[in-house]
Amino acid sequence: MENLMHLFEGFNYLFTLQNIGVTMIGAVLGLLVGAMPGIGSLAGVALLLPLTFKFNPTTAIIMLGSLYYANMYGGAFSAILIGIPGDGPAVMTMMDGYPMATQKNRPGQALLTSNISSFIGGTIGMIILTFMGPSLANAGLRFGPAEMTALLLLAMTSIGWLVGENPTKGLVLTMFGILLASMGMDTLSGTPRYDFGNIYLLGGIPFVPFVIGMVGFSQVIRLMGDRHKETQIAVKKLSIKESMITFHDLKRLLPPAIRSGFLGTFVGVLPGAGATTAAFMGYAVQKSFKSEEPLGTGAIEGIAACEAANNAAAAGAFAPLLALGIPGSGTGAVLLGGLMMWGLNPGPLLFTNSPEFAWSLIASLFLANIITLIIAWGIIPFLIKILSVPTRLMIPAITVVCIVGSYSTSNSMFGIVVMFIAGVLGYVLGNAGYSTAPAILSFVLAPLLESNMRKAFIISQGSLDFFYTKPIALAFMIILVLVILFPLIRLVLTKAGVMKKK
Amino acid sequence: MGRKVKQMDQEKKKKGFPIMQVIPIVGILISVVFIYLGFAKYGFWDTFKGPRPGFFPIIISCLMLVASLVALATSYKEENIEWPKENWILPLSVLGIFVATFVIGLLPSIAIFVLLWLKKFEKCTWKTTLTVFVIIMAVVVGVFVLWLGIPFPKGMILDAINN
Repeated sequence: MENLMHLFEGFNYLFTLQNIGVTMIGAVLGLLVGAMPGIGSLAGVALLLPLTFKFNPTTAIIMLGSLYYANMYGGAFSAILIGIPGDGPAVMTMMDGYPMATQKNRPGQALLTSNISSFIGGTIGMIILTFMGPSLANAGLRFGPAEMTALLLLAMTSIGWLVGENPTKGLVLTMFGILLASMGMDTLSGTPRYDFGNIYLLGGIPFVPFVIGMVGFSQVIRLMGDRHKETQIAVKKLSIKESMITFHDLKRLLPPAIRSGFLGTFVGVLPGAGATTAAFMGYAVQKSFKSEEPLGTGAIEGIAACEAANNAAAAGAFAPLLALGIPGSGTGAVLLGGLMMWGLNPGPLLFTNSPEFAWSLIASLFLANIITLIIAWGIIPFLIKILSVPTRLMIPAITVVCIVGSYSTSNSMFGIVVMFIAGVLGYVLGNAGYSTAPAILSFVLAPLLESNMRKAFIISQGSLDFFYTKPIALAFMIILVLVILFPLIRLVLTKAGVMKKK
Repeated sequence: MGRKVKQMDQEKKKKGFPIMQVIPIVGILISVVFIYLGFAKYGFWDTFKGPRPGFFPIIISCLMLVASLVALATSYKEENIEWPKENWILPLSVLGIFVATFVIGLLPSIAIFVLLWLKKFEKCTWKTTLTVFVIIMAVVVGVFVLWLGIPFPKGMILDAINN
């Protein structure tokens, strides 16, 4: 109750013309930057940080918060419309968003599903942040390397859902993704690893150009065969009304969005996990629930699960940042830098020493969530116009976006080289029946898994007992074993007549 | 007649590039290189320090080696795929942009690519070509250069002039 009063006070500080104005500007800029492939929330917040210099600390951090938050919405736009994820979390949104927009001819509904799910996930995350922020942050701190290893191993099993028709091919690419991620500087020992004497490989393979190439550029190469088709889809009317989802769609969207809202907030609180892991886990969890259509074919449940999870994670990440002064992600680190620049020291005393600042920031997230939803909803008709552009005109446009986006992440031609190689590789592998999704997802999770696993081994002096002596890790390991054994258990139960045959 | 064409197509496919075998073979080579470097250069385990930098990649490489061998064994049952030559024009164009960037810079290279692609390759009218060209360049220059301030490479010629 006390926190609710503080939140209202936060709204009181927030409701000045200047603060509402900067929240709106932040939301619009965040949406734009988020939709640009290659920029992402980290680079977006960092690039737009100077815009906040002119304001007082409270107004400045309100703008930064809304910028960061709107970024999470924007990443899904290009993933749904042109099949190029704007940032890491949008990789999962693309799995169902792009087929729903192009194959099912429901681009407006795909975008609206993404927006509403983001809103639901974000709202759940913020409510949890308001009432349980500090205690959640403390719970997050109980996740040491052993617990994180068990959690990430559990997350890794979900790649099994994405391997496609041939599990062996899926396994080859999963391992390939992990090996690619292991190139560059070893974070624990500082040793250059698998750099083959190349100075660019010292920093590892950059994620965004890799994803742009594997997913975006490879798809443009494939589109060359469809150049003479009139349009990718037939967009009939371009109105907000035409983009509305039905009541049935809403009923399909709500359960995964609410579930992922809670899951995403929890993942967001964990150190280093971030929105991409949250989106990935949200999608994986949805796989074990019933969906009206199979995931990956344009299912509303798929979009809702990952979009709600990534926005909830964005809100959850504020808990350790504000309550403990620990950034959960790269973007969190930039936000922390911004706070310190204005002389604020996030930590347990922040809520006592600068309550107006802490609570108006949380209130601004609520406001940014609503404003971003309205703006994102309003621009849907203009966005889906992109799909009515003939393929032969889209090819050079998307190619340019791939090149410029890849360059922008590192300000280096190496980004373009990575995008090009990943694109050609993605095209060849895709044509040969190798699904590239496992490679991308293992590429994201592998560094986290490796560093946590090695730390856990160092702490336990090489013993595997950390998997069963720590209660949280043990719980995750039991779930992991059950997940792995579930097909076998189902087979036995089906044969025994306890379960019905699918 | 139809059967003959089908037979010729199948023979063509059989004679084509054996990509189904090449991919697992590349997978085997990559895993062998990673295992070798892992043991020889980075180390697997240290009694006192625990897992070394090669620990995780070696385990993964071993799994990849096994998976690639299985994929190779099963690949002979799969049919080869056709690779339309037309599709390779785009990667070649990107290579062209990459090379041209070192001489005239990234933005002029992109501009030339868009114009040539639309006018010469797609045979679009001047009106369509210029409209698409202006939209693409407005987004690139407006958002990435003016707003976000991305320093795109200017190429040898502009660098020489500036110096």
